[in-house]
Amino acid sequence: MKRLHRTLVVSALMTLGVLSGSANAQVTLNVISGGSQNMVDYVTDYLGPLFEKQNPGVKVSVVGTGPDDAGSQKMLEKLLAQKNAGLAVWDTDVIVPNQQKTGEMVKEGLLMKYRDSIPTGKYAISQSAKQALGVNVDGYVMPMFESQTALAYNPDLIKTPPSSFDELRAFVAKNPKSFGYNGLKGGMSGVAFVVGWMYAYGGNPEVIQQGPYDQKALAGWDKAFSELKAFNQQVVFTPGNAGTLDMLNRGEIAMGPVWVDMFQTWKAEGRLAPNLKLKILSPGMPGQPYYYAIPAKAKNVELAKKFIALATSPEVQAEGIVKRFNWYPGIDANVVKPALDTKTWNQLFVDVTPEDLAKNAKPFPLAPFFKDMREQYEAKVQN
Amino acid sequence: MDTPRLRKNLPLVALLLPALLMVGLLFVYPLLFSLAYAFRNEGTGGWDLSNFTKAFALYGADVSLTIGVTLLSTALVGVLAVAVAGYLTLGENPRAVAVLRWIYRWPMFIPFVVAAQLMRTFLAKSGMLNNTLMSLGLIEPLNAMSLLDWRGVVVTFVWKQLPFAALLIAGAMASMDRSLMESARGLGAGRLRILIEIVLPQVSATVWVSLILSFVTMLSALSVPMMIIAGTPTMITVDMAWRVNSYGDYGVANALGFISFALSGAAAWFYLRQGVREGGKPA
Repeated sequence: MKRLHRTLVVSALMTLGVLSGSANAQVTLNVISGGSQNMVDYVTDYLGPLFEKQNPGVKVSVVGTGPDDAGSQKMLEKLLAQKNAGLAVWDTDVIVPNQQKTGEMVKEGLLMKYRDSIPTGKYAISQSAKQALGVNVDGYVMPMFESQTALAYNPDLIKTPPSSFDELRAFVAKNPKSFGYNGLKGGMSGVAFVVGWMYAYGGNPEVIQQGPYDQKALAGWDKAFSELKAFNQQVVFTPGNAGTLDMLNRGEIAMGPVWVDMFQTWKAEGRLAPNLKLKILSPGMPGQPYYYAIPAKAKNVELAKKFIALATSPEVQAEGIVKRFNWYPGIDANVVKPALDTKTWNQLFVDVTPEDLAKNAKPFPLAPFFKDMREQYEAKVQN
Repeated sequence: MDTPRLRKNLPLVALLLPALLMVGLLFVYPLLFSLAYAFRNEGTGGWDLSNFTKAFALYGADVSLTIGVTLLSTALVGVLAVAVAGYLTLGENPRAVAVLRWIYRWPMFIPFVVAAQLMRTFLAKSGMLNNTLMSLGLIEPLNAMSLLDWRGVVVTFVWKQLPFAALLIAGAMASMDRSLMESARGLGAGRLRILIEIVLPQVSATVWVSLILSFVTMLSALSVPMMIIAGTPTMITVDMAWRVNSYGDYGVANALGFISFALSGAAAWFYLRQGVREGGKPA
């Protein structure tokens, strides 16, 4: 009997030993990233291996859920399902959602307030680190990068590109089918163009961007949308964000709205004609950040914080975000600049200067205005 | 049913149960749920037709386009599949038949999304199709136009579904008794006449099945209209994805799903009626 007891104790100890041993040897940090494939590549090829090297025994596992609202909606649904099921520990440690869905996740109580407990929290100074389309997300997020839309144009076909929405309309009236965009359902660069148009002609841009939400601010929209409907008769519709770039590249259109980072990356990879250029139309075109956030009941909270602190350190923002992936830094640019050589820094701002950005880079509208805007576009412009 | 028979059938029922549960829980239940919630008004918490009103107000044109594109594609698939299968059965040049037999199935192994991606570059304004036509001098560069709208979707659907339908129909034709065809031949009937008057009536059940399956498949394709149609109107699968992804609005998405289900339900009804009219079970 005694012997049996001893055997049991020994085997129990061994089991415990094995379990704790394996826990030490291998912890998996589960990351879910929205956005296009390049954002997943950023973690698998660059950030993940860097973090694993600094933290032996940790494995970073990343899954991509796809671009735009669709990708981030999947995260929201996954976390919400775990919350509604009453689980004590959720299976995701770090998420990278877009602005719209981050606001919704904060409202649903799906995220953790962590920013002040990480060393890089003080670098999050941009407006988007506090507000996500009108939802207060202060403390819940660290911006991963800022992205911006601009008008890409072919200088061989257009000597002096339009610099404002008014000039664009005048140009397109004289040269129909020279401008192309991807409508409302074909990706965010098309949505961004519609938003820019409404900021220019719909009235009350400050209220639309900053709130408070008030139906009265929509008074000028009918006219702006009917003008956009007329404008749409003279443009070419492109299949998606990439579709606009493809058509520019084949010379089928002379200009169109694109994401700056995508444009720069394609250019660097030789997928775009090197002569194509960028310009932000005044009074402004929207841009958006992607965020790092931690689910409210993440399993590896401390590791998740460490991961985000690394990702938002000036060195990683310089090397990874700016140099390798052509995004604008998510944290204070003044602390990123010293970590970069002047050449790379200047390349980032070759067509779009910091002054252009300060003047013409706008946020997307407040979430309820944004919803109204898209629905009214569907009802008044597409029908 | 008497007791001994029930006892005899019990193992059968037990064997079927896991499959039934699986279909019930993972398919029938979510389907009924989404059909019912098409009538749910999230604003008032009641049940009404508001989702349908909104769906038709915003996407009425898209519903018509979906019906038109799917019907047209199905019809083209039918005509071309019968032609291909007919040639495979009645063709007299063995080499041509062998080549056709070898080549016609290829698109079947290509997923919809890849087919759509191929067509995006093939049908573009300066795409391969127009470039080829221009270099052959068939069209002028100024007249070249992009086919990336509903026409591109029809081309992709037909290209993708043709082999599937042709495979089924050719199989049915191959298993027919050839003596009728040969006697008709002997009496001097042309091949087209044999195909239409002798072969086709005998394989009509298979033709219907293949067309209805193609119709339902095309109705549910999301990737093709999403990637090919630039601008509007588009197909309702794209609108459903858009409602869910952009607004988190399952109500209108469910209403659109209901419409789509009604369309495929109508196809199923035609199919069953056809079976009943022929006096037997549907094939």
